[in-house]
Amino acid sequence: MEGATSALRGSGARQALAELQKVTDAALAHLTLDDLLTELLHRIVEILHTDTAAFLLMDEEAGVVAARAAKGIEEEVEQGVRIPLGRGFAGRVAAERRPIVLPDVDHADVLNPILREKGICSLLGVPLLVEGRVLGVLHVGTLTPREFTTFDVDLLQLAADRAALAIDHARLYEEEREARVRAERSAEMLQSVQRVTDAALAYLSIDDLLDELLVRTRDILHADTAAILMLERDGRMLRARAAKGIEEEVEQGVRIPVGGGFAGRVAAERRPVVIADVDHSNVLNPILREKGIRSLLGVPLLVEGRVLGVLHVGSLTLRDFTPHDRDLLQLAGDRAALAIDHAEMYEQRRVAEALQRTLLPQEIVGIAGMEIAARYLPAAPATSLGGDWYDVFPLTGGCVGIAVGDVVGRGLPAAALMAQLRTALRAYAFDGHPPSEVVDRLNRILAYLSPATMTTATYMVLDPEREILHMVNAGHPPPVVISPDGDAYYLPTTGGVALGASRASRYHEEACPLPSGSTIVVYTDGVVEVGGESLDDGLERLRRIAARVRGGVEELCDTVIEEMVVDGRPSDDVAILAAYIAPLGERLLTRWPARAEALASIRHLLRRWLRHQGATDDEIYDVTVACQEACANAVEHAYAPGDEAFEVEAVRVDDGVEISVRDGGQWRRARGTHRGRGMPMMEALMDSVHVQHTAEGTVVVLRRTLGRERAA
Amino acid sequence: MSTLARLEDEWHDEIPVARLQGEVDASNVKEMGDRLRSLLSNRSVALVVDLSQTTYLDSAGINMLFALADELRGRQQRLCLVVAETSPIARMVTLTGLDQAIAVRATLADALSEVGAGGE
Repeated sequence: MEGATSALRGSGARQALAELQKVTDAALAHLTLDDLLTELLHRIVEILHTDTAAFLLMDEEAGVVAARAAKGIEEEVEQGVRIPLGRGFAGRVAAERRPIVLPDVDHADVLNPILREKGICSLLGVPLLVEGRVLGVLHVGTLTPREFTTFDVDLLQLAADRAALAIDHARLYEEEREARVRAERSAEMLQSVQRVTDAALAYLSIDDLLDELLVRTRDILHADTAAILMLERDGRMLRARAAKGIEEEVEQGVRIPVGGGFAGRVAAERRPVVIADVDHSNVLNPILREKGIRSLLGVPLLVEGRVLGVLHVGSLTLRDFTPHDRDLLQLAGDRAALAIDHAEMYEQRRVAEALQRTLLPQEIVGIAGMEIAARYLPAAPATSLGGDWYDVFPLTGGCVGIAVGDVVGRGLPAAALMAQLRTALRAYAFDGHPPSEVVDRLNRILAYLSPATMTTATYMVLDPEREILHMVNAGHPPPVVISPDGDAYYLPTTGGVALGASRASRYHEEACPLPSGSTIVVYTDGVVEVGGESLDDGLERLRRIAARVRGGVEELCDTVIEEMVVDGRPSDDVAILAAYIAPLGERLLTRWPARAEALASIRHLLRRWLRHQGATDDEIYDVTVACQEACANAVEHAYAPGDEAFEVEAVRVDDGVEISVRDGGQWRRARGTHRGRGMPMMEALMDSVHVQHTAEGTVVVLRRTLGRERAA
Repeated sequence: MSTLARLEDEWHDEIPVARLQGEVDASNVKEMGDRLRSLLSNRSVALVVDLSQTTYLDSAGINMLFALADELRGRQQRLCLVVAETSPIARMVTLTGLDQAIAVRATLADALSEVGAGGE
């Protein structure tokens, strides 16, 4: 190219190029491809002083270059000359992608008879190249012999390059315009329908969504009214749900039987219905008549073959709804039906999830000496919510109620029933009923709340002090126990039937020893019924995980969710709860907030520790009361506002126990008429009571011998 | 509401009987005291508090019962406790001298006849 550039610096060449450039720039703006090519040929013949010039454009599918425009040899185009690639003159230029000069044309070199008939003596051809693609060939010829110079070759190639760009643009532009014209009609229709679904995508509430859909549908079809009637739950009646231009339909709660009237026919026949001229016989709804609607078009709202309702538009003037109108409304109806279906599912799910979130314990209650973790994972979004639930709550005497259940059925009704059952169970448990009675009552109230529904459940009361579990099972998968030495096994359950199976069912309690250091795991079937796996395999997998995980209940729950739930989101709801009874050592050191609410927890933990030390019931009671007196003093007297905590330490000493209660405040003499019994009680109940006041606070040290009769 | 204890009441003529189940400590003693007081009307001649199903009672509860007894005495009403003889509560009651201040009986029937409820 360097040679060409220097050659082109010659006189006249720059001007010649400038002329060419004008053509192609103008061409891009105005000319059709054929006019452009003709104009180019005209200029090229002038600049290069040749007798002929021709463009042959590539037809890649046919493997030829075809004459598209010619000057001096117009017959080429008229006769539709096509030259195979690689053959003849033009075919070689295209195939070899380089300029070819034929100073002396003879028959062997030229396939095209027209060139020979015209008596062309010399030929120069260059390829039309854009980004390495061959678009065709440009060639010039003379009727007298001519030696084409390097200058001529470079000039023609430059002209060809510019022409090629212009041709490429013009072609693209033409193709685009054709496609646009072709697509215009369908695009217009699609776009207008698409506008309907834009609304749905924005997660509007169902009412807002329907309003938006109607406004758009009415616009698209240039109708005066639009209305949506939804099928009622029993499938027999349609009820006006949203309307534009006939808002009275909704305000008056118009209901139309399926099969009757206009909308009723659309729903019953599940196909579009047109009424060109409304009269009394074919329209039931008085509002349509009163409004003066003359023509109606209605389509069913269908999702997977289910009729959700009817969408119709009306005109105040007589109108022949065309098949195009009908198709457009049906298209809008189909999209609307999907959007409504999704919105309904979304709304139901949102409410149900909110309900479930509210009702499942947000934070697991803290129970001293135990570690409890739980997880709830709702099913994948495609399916609606189930009624899985769990609950943990403290009961009197340091016992802990643990419940898990699975309401059969899905969606809002299942979630609502779950909530009712959970509340009922808590109420029965707080009323002091033993576990079997709690479940009996739950069975009876279920029959009242939702007669046809079954639900599985396990309810257990864990007594960490006596290291025993009282369990009632109602058709629920068995709990897993991880023993202190790490074995995992399923608790044998006598298998009471699911709640709701029979009003006459009586549930029985099973007592299972559960020593300190054990973990109990309850769960719902989503944990063990994993895609295609048999229940036995699922149970075994869960058992193995339970036996393997050593990192505590939080890690256990996480691992089960990770390993048992494929792909992060389960196909069924999953709930799991694990409770670990921490073993208490020879020395118990705990720290408590200085609030009266802590007293019960301290008491229950201390009772556990004392029983572990072999104390009798009476000894446990005495030591507990004495310790509580010291703790109550710490809570009540010892603190200035802002002080927060006190410490209880219990250690085994010689033949007894020593309890120390330390706080950071100053002991205050008891005031009031019936106060001050704490100190005498401590002294009466314990062998020794020492109170030490230091700058840091107060320490009360209580000692009591275990295992011998005390002097009265 | 505390879930540590429950209070069930029944009536024998004009005499309320309160059955206190569960545990009473500093965290719920005020609530229990208030609920016991609410059982009394001007026509009540006595209040029976049944502690047979009480599993924990410390000085907070004992103090409350002393105070309640004082109040009732001031209104010419009687307080009577039901405490099983061998229960730990009985020892607390003895230890604090509560049994010296008010009537303590081993059964509800004894308590009711003590306060003069007919036919029990």
